[in-house]
Amino acid sequence: MPLNNKLTSSYLEENLAVFINLLRQEGLPVSTTEMFDALKALEHVDLSSREEFKSALQATLVKNTHDRGCFNRLFDNFFVPPEVQAQRNKQVEHRKKQFTHELDQARKELQFKGENLQLSPEELVQYRSMSKEQREKLKQFMYKTETGVNVESRFRPILESVVKSHLRYCKNQQGQSNRQDETGGSGRGEGAGAGKNKDELLREMDIQAITKTDLPEAEQLLQQLSRKLAVKILRRRRSGPRSGVLDLRRSLRENMRYGGTIFKLKHKPKRRSRQQILLLCDVSGSMKSYSTFVIQFLHGLRETVRDLSCFTFADRLENLTGELKGKNDLQYLLDRVIRRSETWGGGTNLGISLEVLNKKYPDLLNNRTSVIVVSDTKTIALDQAAKELGSLKDRVKRVIWLNPMPKEQWPEYRAVGTFAEMVEMWPCNTIAQLEEVLTGRL
Amino acid sequence: MTISLSELKKGFNRAGYICDESTALTVFLTLELGKPLLIEGAPGVGKTEMGKVLADILKTELIRLQCYEGLDETKALYEWNYQRQLLRIQMNRDLEEEQVREEDLFSDRYLMERPLLRAIQADRVPVLLIDEVDKCDPEFEAFLFEVLSDFQVSIPELGTIKAKNIPVVVLTSNNERELSDGLKRRCLYLYLDFPAVEQEVQIVKAKIPEITDRLAWETARVVSRLRQENNLRKKPSIAETLDWARALVALNRNRLDGKLVSETLNLILKTHADQEYFNSEIGSEGIEKIVKTGGSGGESRQCR
Repeated sequence: MPLNNKLTSSYLEENLAVFINLLRQEGLPVSTTEMFDALKALEHVDLSSREEFKSALQATLVKNTHDRGCFNRLFDNFFVPPEVQAQRNKQVEHRKKQFTHELDQARKELQFKGENLQLSPEELVQYRSMSKEQREKLKQFMYKTETGVNVESRFRPILESVVKSHLRYCKNQQGQSNRQDETGGSGRGEGAGAGKNKDELLREMDIQAITKTDLPEAEQLLQQLSRKLAVKILRRRRSGPRSGVLDLRRSLRENMRYGGTIFKLKHKPKRRSRQQILLLCDVSGSMKSYSTFVIQFLHGLRETVRDLSCFTFADRLENLTGELKGKNDLQYLLDRVIRRSETWGGGTNLGISLEVLNKKYPDLLNNRTSVIVVSDTKTIALDQAAKELGSLKDRVKRVIWLNPMPKEQWPEYRAVGTFAEMVEMWPCNTIAQLEEVLTGRL
Repeated sequence: MTISLSELKKGFNRAGYICDESTALTVFLTLELGKPLLIEGAPGVGKTEMGKVLADILKTELIRLQCYEGLDETKALYEWNYQRQLLRIQMNRDLEEEQVREEDLFSDRYLMERPLLRAIQADRVPVLLIDEVDKCDPEFEAFLFEVLSDFQVSIPELGTIKAKNIPVVVLTSNNERELSDGLKRRCLYLYLDFPAVEQEVQIVKAKIPEITDRLAWETARVVSRLRQENNLRKKPSIAETLDWARALVALNRNRLDGKLVSETLNLILKTHADQEYFNSEIGSEGIEKIVKTGGSGGESRQCR
């Protein structure tokens, strides 16, 4: 249906721009060209048909299988019938009023000798979000201070500063407990994750939070990831100007223009030497869940990638390459690693483990080897570990460190800084991050 | 190339290509906007078939470029027929004719057109099917999206050749590797999933008219149930459903039972591990149940 009506057209364009902005905020790479394509496509569909409208936008704006769920969710939330929109507007108005009322209430409650404390709106919101008991406690404290002997109004800044620190402390506490809730698997269905489909949620969920019921889907995602990486590793041909053996046919063809005199040689593309992958997996107490996932992922690679070695470490190094390469199913492998491993769930001594690797397995460490370390860097004897890591790095093609610790916590640990200066370190506590690092960086 | 949405849908039906409204609309938009269409999906869902059917509907030539690792411009775009050029130089020397000119050697006579050049030079709008584009190297992919954005190529000896007609381009990918954003940006995107049971019954009946209703439903239900098994290494494709159904018709069977499925299992499950998995997890009893009760959730699958 052509857009004859100018008003409809500009309204549609405006709405589309806002919708595309939402898609971008969710991480979908929608370019301006694609926006124009979408507008052009809409000229050819029946705008009164929701399905046609949606299909046209989907075909022009979504270019990735994983993004389809996100698109559907945003589309269903954004393009709603007018009556639903009106109802939503009412709700928003109501919430705004309620919010203003709550802030006023908080200001009234946080007074000192009849004067409001100088608190920012964020601090007032934090106060309202605290439990009733916590608020009562704070009010009691303020009351006692206010009614104390020789307490004058000029004490207000001191009290303000105490209240502010208390609010900050509560905020941090809340943040931590929220994180724990999320890792306990109960943070689903609300907030940022609301409305996301299961695959999306699983991809973005902290690996530690994946529950037993979600495991089959998570394993399937890992299998897909294994297949992608296997294809990447198995690609061996690389074209280059001067590499490989002489290509007589192409040389003759190229030199025809010089009357058959061969003075420009053409070579066959050099075959990329096969990559060796060595996985070094931390299986100490804090790393169990992550390591289980990485081992599952490697299990998917074992049939296609020949040169794959796997070691686990906690307080010592253990070679699992044999188990991984044998015709064992995944359950057997995990059983072997988890139940019978001598290192599983212990403390971490990376230095000793790397020393053993450097000394006992020199044949695995060469310029074709990519070492993937999966560890949260929490180790004793940091200096020895750093020294051995340096020695390992000099012998292999590259060392990639996958760190499941959230990136915002990195500055708190000296070990992270030490290791990150020496090797490439990437945050990796979700399947999406694992995919990004392994398919994009390896 | 102008064709209305309803004509396109009729064309799909006539060709026996059963698809949903959204798929037909995306193909229609591809034709209207003159953009390449990138189709992704599991192997055997009908991606390549889409290119063939489209050529059939538009009654035009299908030019196919099969991608593989190491594919380069000489295989995809053009190559000089150097043997012929050599012969010409040699003959010229032996016959002591007048000096052969360079322009003579680099003329259309000695140019071997490969699929991309053929598509650009075609007199009538062709359908260019670039199959399994995820198998080619990233360098070739970059070259490809240059060709696909300008529809012109430069041959140093001949100059720039512009497309006589912009071809209808269909690219397919099994999603084995992520394609570049540049290529995706230039295409419309269509994801083909395995069909729902009802849709697969329609496909089976369209391709094998002699099959009974009952057998068509039962085969579609069993295949759909198998596709729900995430542990299978290779899920049965539509082509395998059709092969299986044809085999059952050839065996003069009108209904499925556990024994028959076990005997003909190698037509739908093509690895030993998958067959073993089937025997241990589903088996003849499971099949009887699917056939009798309509299976566990087979019909609830999303339609493509």
